[in-house]
Amino acid sequence: MLQGFTEWLTGTEASAVLSDTTQFATWLIIPVSQCIHLICVAIVMISVGLLNLRLLGVAGARQSFAQLADHLMPWIWAALTVLFITGTIQTVAEPGRELLNIGFKTKMVLLMCAVAITVVYQTTIRKDPKYWDRSPERRKMAQMLASISLVLWIGIAAAGRLIAYLDLRHEQ
Amino acid sequence: MNGIIAILQWINDLPLSAFIRDWIFAFPSLETVHVIAIVFVLGSITRLDMRLMGLVWQDRPVTEISEEMLPWTWISFVIATIFGLLLWMSKPLTYFAIAFFDVKMILIALAGINMLFFQFVTFRTVGQWDRDPIPPPAARFAGALSMALWLGVMICGRFIGFV
Repeated sequence: MLQGFTEWLTGTEASAVLSDTTQFATWLIIPVSQCIHLICVAIVMISVGLLNLRLLGVAGARQSFAQLADHLMPWIWAALTVLFITGTIQTVAEPGRELLNIGFKTKMVLLMCAVAITVVYQTTIRKDPKYWDRSPERRKMAQMLASISLVLWIGIAAAGRLIAYLDLRHEQ
Repeated sequence: MNGIIAILQWINDLPLSAFIRDWIFAFPSLETVHVIAIVFVLGSITRLDMRLMGLVWQDRPVTEISEEMLPWTWISFVIATIFGLLLWMSKPLTYFAIAFFDVKMILIALAGINMLFFQFVTFRTVGQWDRDPIPPPAARFAGALSMALWLGVMICGRFIGFV
């Protein structure tokens, strides 16, 4: 199914325009999209880094987790939206490079898990700003989630960078 | 010029350089660490820059943001530099000939000068404007310049891979 979708997407007009490297203006689309993508990766990574280290009790103790989250969550969601848009542009330009790539697939699975943890952070503190401080069990749970989240986000960034090296289309 | 080329050639011929060139997993894995470190440099320094410009965290003192962000910036910058040097030594002559690489190095140097000037001149009076929602023009300028330079560094770095 993914194979069929990839072939269909590769044949579309949109894909042809975005992957046209003969014109300077269209050649620019992908590097520019990647630069915007990277800026948003920077926003997300420092934000989840700050949030998770705060939960782990390593840094950021001047603010409560809820205060920090109130400030950073809008940045995370805005950046993730732009990441989705630029990522889609890059995927439409070269569907085979992304959709059939083990680095890309790994990244998407890790991303869903990491976003799920972020949604948990958001919904719990909206319900109760001190949610994660209410009991030792919850504090332990928060530390576990924070550790997993950190590993997931680092994994997402690593898988993203490695997509370029795991593109095996030309070797098939 | 010939002196520079000779030095780069010597670096190029080091056993470690050859190893990074020849072992297929070396460059991708070093580059992955390099890029992850860079996004933390960029993410942390731009938060401080935006506070200096009066755009975020206006209710928190500048020194507090600075103390919170700069450890991220420094640790990540050291890691990015070490792994960047390892990447660079695998083909120093190639990079020397890529304009984006040379511009990137100049922009890093300019960012460093901007930071030193800010640290030793503008920041000395921080006591007077630490809690200002919008810091004075010199601080706002330093923040904007820093942000522009680091974004430039990242953009040049990304474009190295496209030429």
